[in-house]
Amino acid sequence: MSLPSSLRASMSPQELEFVAGEEIVEIVPSIRMAPIRLISGVYGPFRPPAKAKVPLWLASNLKLKKKCHIVPPDWLSVEALQERLADETSAEGFSPLPFRWLEISKVVLDIASDDVTNPDRIRSLLKDIREARQSKIREGLRSMGTKAVELEMPNVGSMEINEVRPFFVKAMNVIGILSAPPRDITENQAANGTDFN
Amino acid sequence: MDNTYFDIDAIFAENQKLACTFLTDVPGLGYLDGGKERDIKKGTKMQLPYWLALPLLYAEHLEFTLPQPFGSRVRNALNADARSVRLASLVGVGNYWYAHGRNVVDILDETQGKPMADVLKDTFKGRLMDLMDQAQHFAGAGTGIGVAHSGTGDAGQEFREGLDQTERELFALAQESARRTKAWFESSDRTTS
Repeated sequence: MSLPSSLRASMSPQELEFVAGEEIVEIVPSIRMAPIRLISGVYGPFRPPAKAKVPLWLASNLKLKKKCHIVPPDWLSVEALQERLADETSAEGFSPLPFRWLEISKVVLDIASDDVTNPDRIRSLLKDIREARQSKIREGLRSMGTKAVELEMPNVGSMEINEVRPFFVKAMNVIGILSAPPRDITENQAANGTDFN
Repeated sequence: MDNTYFDIDAIFAENQKLACTFLTDVPGLGYLDGGKERDIKKGTKMQLPYWLALPLLYAEHLEFTLPQPFGSRVRNALNADARSVRLASLVGVGNYWYAHGRNVVDILDETQGKPMADVLKDTFKGRLMDLMDQAQHFAGAGTGIGVAHSGTGDAGQEFREGLDQTERELFALAQESARRTKAWFESSDRTTS
């Protein structure tokens, strides 16, 4: 209860980015190093120029020390994203991007934009995709307002869910309360109020 | 709906007044009406808070009339365009239009309660989209949601000022999460480590 209500309702974007640190990415190390054993697994050995698979947090750490290049995931390229954007604007559903696509793309573009071909184009494509998806989420809200009681939005990313979660949850709660049959107050009067939280 | 006993909003909402008429004489409680008379006579009309009217209603000491904020004039306006009604100015202190309405539904009989419950629900749903657009617009999120701009200007201002308390909380929630997400997008990981 001591947390501000915004933090009680959902995670912060920074926390989600931290969680996304466990996603595996490929790197091309620029140093030789024996395998490192961690609780989450064994990473390495690092033998340039062979690729290695490591979690995103390790990749960004090494990258910031200039000890590796990050290989951008397949979907993080101009061609793949153009295809996604075309899906996004033509089809009704959400295109199949990785669950943590916003977090991963942001980290990779922030710290390793020199490893990505044409980062500016990718940034603007990502922005377009995000906006197309946001307006679909908004459409979902409209359907919640008019007909459906349930809302199905497959392939929505974690960050996108997180952004609308507090609003959607509370709005659905209120709709639930307003649609409920009248309470029988004679049974437990006074001990019950109308709680919209 | 459980554990609402400590919900401060529910308590405030129960403080809304109902126009009641006493069906029996009540000796010694004249002070409820300002203290001019000692007893309450049968047929006295009085504004009582919901929490006080509730047990008296069930003991059949009084009857109430449908509060004017949920009357036919407001209903017609809501049917015309739910977004143009200023819910905030309909009920008194606290703006608990939905919560008060819901409380009233609970004490109405089926024939009156059902349509009124539908009015509450449809109004809320009808205003939900604009609410979210406005909230995201005011997070400074000029990014997505191109339609957000439709709600700005005078109409948008009217709408925001007319929000009910429940809607205000929703507005704040949506605004805050949009603001945080936007701030995250604009931050850079390069400097953090």
